[in-house]
Amino acid sequence: MTELRELARRLLSEGTVNAVLGWEEGPRGARPAFVTTPEGADTLIFDHRCVHNLASYLSPRRPHLKRLGKVAMVLKPCDARAVAGLIRETQIPRDKVVLIGVRCGGVITDPDSTAPLTEATVADRCRGCPDREGHLADHTVGTAGPGFAGPSKRAQKIEELAAAPAEKRWAFWQSELEKCVRCHACRQVCPMCYCDRCLADKTQPRWIESSPHARGNMAWHVARAMHLAGRCVDCGECERVCPEGIPLGLITRKIAQVVSERYDFRPSDDPAVPAPVGTYRMDDPQEFIL
Amino acid sequence: MARIGVFVCHCGENIGRTVDCHGVAEACKDVPGVVHSVDYKYMCSDPGQQMVKNAIAEKGLTGVVVAACSPHMHEKTFRRATAGAGLNPFLCEMANVREHCSWIHEDREKATVKAVDITKTIIEKVKRNVPLNTIRIPVTRRALVIGGGIAGIQAALDIADGGREVILVEKGPSIGGHMSQLSETFPTLDCSQCILTPRMVEVYQHPRIKLYAYSEVESVEGYIGNFKVTVRRKARSVDEDKCNGCGACTQVCPNKKIPSEFDCGLGKRTAIYVPFPQAVPNLPTVDRNKCLLFMNRAKGRPDTCKKCADACAKGAIDFDQQDRLVTEDVGAIVVATGYQLYTIGKDQPKDNLKGYGEYGYGTIPDVIDGLQFERLASASGPTSGKILRPSDGKEPKRIVFLQCIGSRDPQKGMEYCSKICCMYVAKHTMLYHHKVHDGQATVFYMDIRAAGKGYEEFSRRAIEEEGAQYIRGRVSRMWREGDVIKILGFDTLEGEPIEMDADMVVLATAMRPQPGIDALAQKLSVSYDQHGFINEAHPKLRPVETNTAGIFVAGACQAPRDIPDAVAMASATASKVLGLFANEMLEREPTVACVNEANCAGCFHCERVCAYGAVEHKDIKDRAGNVVRVIAYVNPGVCQGCGTCQATCPSKSVELQGFTDEQIWGEIQALGV
Amino acid sequence: MDATTPAVAGGFEPRITAFVCNWCTYTGADLAGTSRLQMASNVRIIRLPCTGRIDPMFITKAFERGADGIIVSGCHPADCHYNAGNYHARRRFAIFRELMDFLGVDTGRITFSWVSASEGGKWRDVVNDAVTRVRALGPFTDYRKLVVDPVATATGVVPPEHVGKEVPA
Ligand SMILES: Cc1cc2nc3c(=O)[nH]c(=O)nc-3n(C[C@H](O)[C@H](O)[C@H](O)COP(=O)(O)OP(=O)(O)OC[C@H]3O[C@@H](n4cnc5c(N)ncnc54)[C@H](O)[C@@H]3O)c2cc1C
Ligand code: SF4
Ligand code: SF4
Ligand code: SF4
Ligand code: SF4
Ligand code: SF4
Repeated sequence: MTELRELARRLLSEGTVNAVLGWEEGPRGARPAFVTTPEGADTLIFDHRCVHNLASYLSPRRPHLKRLGKVAMVLKPCDARAVAGLIRETQIPRDKVVLIGVRCGGVITDPDSTAPLTEATVADRCRGCPDREGHLADHTVGTAGPGFAGPSKRAQKIEELAAAPAEKRWAFWQSELEKCVRCHACRQVCPMCYCDRCLADKTQPRWIESSPHARGNMAWHVARAMHLAGRCVDCGECERVCPEGIPLGLITRKIAQVVSERYDFRPSDDPAVPAPVGTYRMDDPQEFIL
Repeated sequence: MARIGVFVCHCGENIGRTVDCHGVAEACKDVPGVVHSVDYKYMCSDPGQQMVKNAIAEKGLTGVVVAACSPHMHEKTFRRATAGAGLNPFLCEMANVREHCSWIHEDREKATVKAVDITKTIIEKVKRNVPLNTIRIPVTRRALVIGGGIAGIQAALDIADGGREVILVEKGPSIGGHMSQLSETFPTLDCSQCILTPRMVEVYQHPRIKLYAYSEVESVEGYIGNFKVTVRRKARSVDEDKCNGCGACTQVCPNKKIPSEFDCGLGKRTAIYVPFPQAVPNLPTVDRNKCLLFMNRAKGRPDTCKKCADACAKGAIDFDQQDRLVTEDVGAIVVATGYQLYTIGKDQPKDNLKGYGEYGYGTIPDVIDGLQFERLASASGPTSGKILRPSDGKEPKRIVFLQCIGSRDPQKGMEYCSKICCMYVAKHTMLYHHKVHDGQATVFYMDIRAAGKGYEEFSRRAIEEEGAQYIRGRVSRMWREGDVIKILGFDTLEGEPIEMDADMVVLATAMRPQPGIDALAQKLSVSYDQHGFINEAHPKLRPVETNTAGIFVAGACQAPRDIPDAVAMASATASKVLGLFANEMLEREPTVACVNEANCAGCFHCERVCAYGAVEHKDIKDRAGNVVRVIAYVNPGVCQGCGTCQATCPSKSVELQGFTDEQIWGEIQALGV
Repeated sequence: MDATTPAVAGGFEPRITAFVCNWCTYTGADLAGTSRLQMASNVRIIRLPCTGRIDPMFITKAFERGADGIIVSGCHPADCHYNAGNYHARRRFAIFRELMDFLGVDTGRITFSWVSASEGGKWRDVVNDAVTRVRALGPFTDYRKLVVDPVATATGVVPPEHVGKEVPA
């Protein structure tokens, strides 16, 4: 932590950046923080409660950050994948942001929890996460725990659903999706959902009915899954912020599995690696096509 | 408010037999927005078209739906009629109730229900159609031809003869390409130089052809009709305006032992050289890697030698000449960069190529490739046309040709067939037998592929009349014993191994694209296959177009080609170019994609999926001129209208005109229960 | 049951919406017509320039509008009129199909095919197979039940008693 704070202080006092985006201790737990003065750097923390993917603050659609000019951002290996995605999709110029990588051995799911990081509490995406540090960072600080091996609970659930008949899956998802109140928090928090005008808000034509009913909800979640296919970095933010507790991570995980099995693709923190949707191979599998 | 007219055609009995056309017209009357709905025996007839025109005028229609045959049949007809009545033609669409309905169903009731549905979808579409205007793009009516082989020469001459200016860029010191190296050509055995040289001279003298030899394309910007090309004119160290081509310089150059590229290393040249006597332009070039003066300069020593400069009466030699960049505006580009042969031997350009070390090319001097044989057989070649072995200058009495070296061999070479080798090997055996009367030519082949006019007859003649011995099989190993080449192979017809002695062996190596083709293709943004051959836009229907509008391809850079193929392709590109240049303005269908600038997030997914490179980056600036956003812009001159960008764009900020989301949404709505 | 046999009176006749590309499948369907190949009349074609233009939203919308089955069809690999639209579509729909399966939609309702301009007979088979298959699956009432809830529309909250029920629009 001292290493992180010292680096942040130096970047701010030397004027390299005007703000550092990281985490601080809030009244209820860890929370995102903007530090704009060298002294403020002492409030920065990093531990297993720093679950938020701060990359979504870098989106050009967030003008308050833009006004600050050059900023530094503290990022976990998984956040690095999101930043790489934003660079890949020309949303942020690499030279406009200083990236401070923190070594990470896993986080828990709830930033407000006082639970320690254990096999039982670790976030599902951290199970089997191979990266202890991100490769994109300009500076890398801290030390990391050993990380957690699988098995992913979501993968188990996906297998269980796959084994059930289609009607069971339909029933399961209907019971989940009917809870959706279409607050679009899952979209707002997602680092890769940065469209100026989301398809869900379009009225001419209206592909996705906007009121919270089963039909519109279905269309919304299909659209979101398709738009994020091969782009989702599995930061888990959408599921975390959903006020209705809909297991969105099952959908994102399922699609990630499909993309990895079919196209041998895993979200990368290298902006030069192309996303699997928008590219193709002539010999892509096509067993489902007559 | 929409005012749609619906016209249901009986097509004589063709539709009327199974579809109740009157019923369809009646049913459509109830659709909101439809103000006119009729049926008629033959809508495409003059009176039928007149009905459409009259209704547009009388009822003030804002859209026309013709329920009849396939739009592929008559869309143009009815759009023309619509335009004739003063309504934008893109407000007219066809509902296909013949091919997709009356002809494939027998049950009249069901067919009628379906015909109503089909017509309703199109009504909903047309309600959402907007007037579109044909896109007009100015065209610079000059062409660029890249590569001065026979393909490039032919294309340049045809375009220039058609009345348009041509810039011909050749990277070597002379045009002519590989054809200038050939001795005699199949299937007629006419002398290659004799038919090629006049064409080369014609290029040089043509008032509408500007030749940039010893030059390369540096960069290409723009799009069909409007390319800006920068050409690097490499320094020859000879002032072309002063030089009169006397050749005095080449006589005095002391460095005379340089292997000649033109003679495939079998002959020698000087450091200042003209590649071959008939070169066009007839200008010497200083090879700066081999010139003593430049070698000294490279070592930081003072200039020495200058013998050529002293010998030049015109003072044309300029050791300080620099590369020059020239920019040319052109409207179309022909790529004709030709081929190279598969590199045999150990050093391979790509890891997957293995090189056939077992044939001893490069270590056994009398193992040569096909182009080297051409030089030996050529009257102007290093042996004045005598077939003599490189090692000791003796006439080989037993010569063996191996076909398919690097071709049809996915393990060590290329999986494709190089197409020309069967023919030139047959030619080589004939040339050999003509020159060495007591010699025997033997060929190891996999198959004989002699498809082409006079080709089968030609290869049969080589075997049946001229006595070439053909063995079906592969050679596994060759080595030298004394001055004899030992050959170990397998005859697959006899099913037994073969051992044979030869005095000389010729390897018919695979044709591959020129090195650097990928870099050039990227500059042009045309696609190429895994081997580097330039891709044609459509393998059957658009064989000489590339996927980038305004860029065409001819000759062996597209696939292995012989001369007649290369020339035919070149003339085809010329006719495409001249067609494009027929008018000052290029007219294109307006069904192209268009970006909603307010909504585009600048993620460029659209750019990634566009096969034509139609999507560009556009800067949005504030009043002070600072770039505040970068968004997508679709160049209507380049877009082909596939709509892949729109389906890919998450926020649908790019719309394909004529097939917008609104229109398709309307169609889907129309099918609702 | 053969798709072309007229259904028993009052029997279920599936509604199938087909999204096809202009150059291959649409033309192949034209050829089926010119060759007078008889086939089931349950399919309604929507013509797009290219499979690359076909959006997954078209399919969800068609299901919303009561389609029991969907066909997506275009040019064979390497035959795309626009070079690569079908390759992009192939990835898009491979993922979409798996998603639909995961969400519990029987993928037998969604048919993907490559039908070239010369394959009128193949088009007929694709149509007849799809109709037979979807007929066996029955009406897609599950999706149709996902109706607009007037109470939810007005209040922004789905009343608990409406959850999973068919509610008149
Ligand atoms: C051994 C042998 C024997 C053959 N015999 C016959 C025969 O008897 N009959 C027959 O019909 N065919 C024969 N061929 C085939 C014949 O050589 C080709 O069909 C013909 O040369 C193809 O012409 P081209 O213009 O496409 O390519 P090339 O002749 O290769 O010409 C391409 C030209 O482009 C230039 N170039 C390359 N890259 C660039 C660049 N980036 N910028 C500018 N310029 C560039 C090259 O310098 C070259 O001048 C034979 C081939 C071989 C190997
Ligand atoms: S979809 Fe969810 S898990 Fe994926 S990147 Fe967005 S917020 Fe993160
Ligand atoms: S759901 Fe799709 S359209 Fe909406 S913001 Fe996310 S990526 Fe953009
Ligand atoms: S956050 Fe949850 S409730 Fe809100 S729109 Fe997303 S899934 Fe629905
Ligand atoms: S048009 Fe769509 S896909 Fe293209 S850059 Fe804009 S938002 Fe992205
Ligand atoms: S419609 Fe097709 S060709 Fe045109 S810009 Fe979009 S992807 Fe490119």
